[in-house]
Amino acid sequence: MRAMAMTLKHELIGLSGVVERNIYLTKRYIFWDVAFFVWTVANTLTIVFIAEGIVATGGEIDVEQVTTQLLIGAVVWAYLGIIFAFLMETVAWERWEGTIEYTFMAPLSRAMHLGGTGVFAVIYGLVRASLLFVVVALFFGLSMPDANFAAALVLLVIASVSFFGIGMMTSVLPLISPEKGAQLGFIAQGMLLVVSGVYYPVSVLPQWMQWLSTISPATYALRGIRASILDGAGLAWEDVWPLLVIGAVSIPLGLWVFHRGELYAKRHGKLKRSG
Amino acid sequence: MSDAAVRVDGLLKVFDVPEREAGLKAATKSLVRRRTREVRAVDGISFELAPGEIVGFLGPNGAGKTTTLKMLSGLLYVSGGEARVLGHVPSKRERDFLRRIALVMGNRNQLQWDLPALDSFELNRSIYRIPRPDFVALRDELVELLEIGDLVRKPVRQLSLGERMKVEIVGSLLHRPQVLFLDEPTIGLDVTMQKRIREFVALYRQRHEATVMLTSHYMADVEALCERVIVIHHGKILFDGDLAALSDTVAAWKTIAVVLENGAGDLSGYGEVIHRDGDLVTLRVPKAETARVTARLLAEQEVLDLNVEDPPIEDVIELVFAQDAVE
Repeated sequence: MRAMAMTLKHELIGLSGVVERNIYLTKRYIFWDVAFFVWTVANTLTIVFIAEGIVATGGEIDVEQVTTQLLIGAVVWAYLGIIFAFLMETVAWERWEGTIEYTFMAPLSRAMHLGGTGVFAVIYGLVRASLLFVVVALFFGLSMPDANFAAALVLLVIASVSFFGIGMMTSVLPLISPEKGAQLGFIAQGMLLVVSGVYYPVSVLPQWMQWLSTISPATYALRGIRASILDGAGLAWEDVWPLLVIGAVSIPLGLWVFHRGELYAKRHGKLKRSG
Repeated sequence: MSDAAVRVDGLLKVFDVPEREAGLKAATKSLVRRRTREVRAVDGISFELAPGEIVGFLGPNGAGKTTTLKMLSGLLYVSGGEARVLGHVPSKRERDFLRRIALVMGNRNQLQWDLPALDSFELNRSIYRIPRPDFVALRDELVELLEIGDLVRKPVRQLSLGERMKVEIVGSLLHRPQVLFLDEPTIGLDVTMQKRIREFVALYRQRHEATVMLTSHYMADVEALCERVIVIHHGKILFDGDLAALSDTVAAWKTIAVVLENGAGDLSGYGEVIHRDGDLVTLRVPKAETARVTARLLAEQEVLDLNVEDPPIEDVIELVFAQDAVE
């Protein structure tokens, strides 16, 4: 028992080392992060303005509600993008810098290696997504008097476990294809969100896409967060349990997929520097 | 040698390399029918390294040196044969194995480009579970030995190639590896820096009784550090033995550099003239005849200076590769 506790302690020290390294790297490029944040705000505005556009072209909608719905979709999209990008960079960036072989040679379990990146990605993503939400909400003067932000935040954190698991599966792509793997990750992100009702209700999708939406964690995250912010709903079990189940499946599956990718890379000599 | 630090038996690494003819037609054809060629990067090699031994692993580009080192470090899976390092199978990634080895590649970096080396050292401390007092003591010792106290606080990207190599080596040794694989650690460095790295490797090996396997294209590295060399070409071992024996086995000649008082005349009657620079003439003579030719020169010529030398190791290695190509 004591030996297990010591092992866990050492693993967590390794994980915290990876988190710490990512903090240093983010600090190093903090002004570039600010620039990218401005781009994200601009991108989000182009989506959220659609609500105003509908009214301007004669449509009759509750502008405030649709604006908030679109904003939530855009923020979750941006958040998922951050998680996937960080995990993808675990491999892609290290390949570029030429450190990947050393990282794979280090006595750190893959779970802790990827977990360290994932923990930092979630913290960083939550900060950026929250800032994005606040900035755009202020821009449009959204009031959201009934919003239950705490419930929305907790649900996003729960959903992050599943996002992280799926992110691990996509982060293997640059291992398999050093040249195009990273771009394939964006396709996975897009596929996930298109079936999850990012800017529209899932009910408008064709039936086969609605079936797919039931295995996407983003479906439950978007539904629950919208309910919390628009209607002040608390955590709903019907959103939480699917996320817990998908998380419980996707984390070990993600680790297994990454392990298979690592085996492939080591058999075929794909760990070389690509930069 | 059951207690070998490194034991390699019939090690094999095969890659399937895609290939096609030039042109649009061949490119289109390869979309549906991809042609690959089997390349034996390492072709059934066997050797052992005793604990504390330092061995030069020599060969031209593409000989299979780096592939072998990567298999011994667990970065590449073997296609056949067996490799054991400190009793471990490298591909299994056992913690006890990973904590006791290091691979330093002259053309790669383990330190984060954007961070000062000190930050990366701290990460290594966490990952390799080095107790802080041990970490601080060894870090400071290595930093002092390589005189890089003012470099470790700068982002790695701002360091010169030689400076970067020095901090890379420190980063690789913080966990006191017992087996060190050095893949061209002095590549691209000036002669002064090469000498510093060589001295440092020798000192580290002596202090920590480490086993070292070194590849280098600079024969000065090999001559200064290694008594034993393994020569590999086209994935096969051509020679494994003492450096001195390599010269004796392959190059059955010596060189005599001679300066005559009355200027360099025609000395072709003594041996093959391979170099002439003013009054200095260098002759190549069969090893068995060296003593006789030297005696003749001293008796028949007015000699100001005379040196008998083994052929340069570069020439010997070149000869090994040339012989392999002919065979």
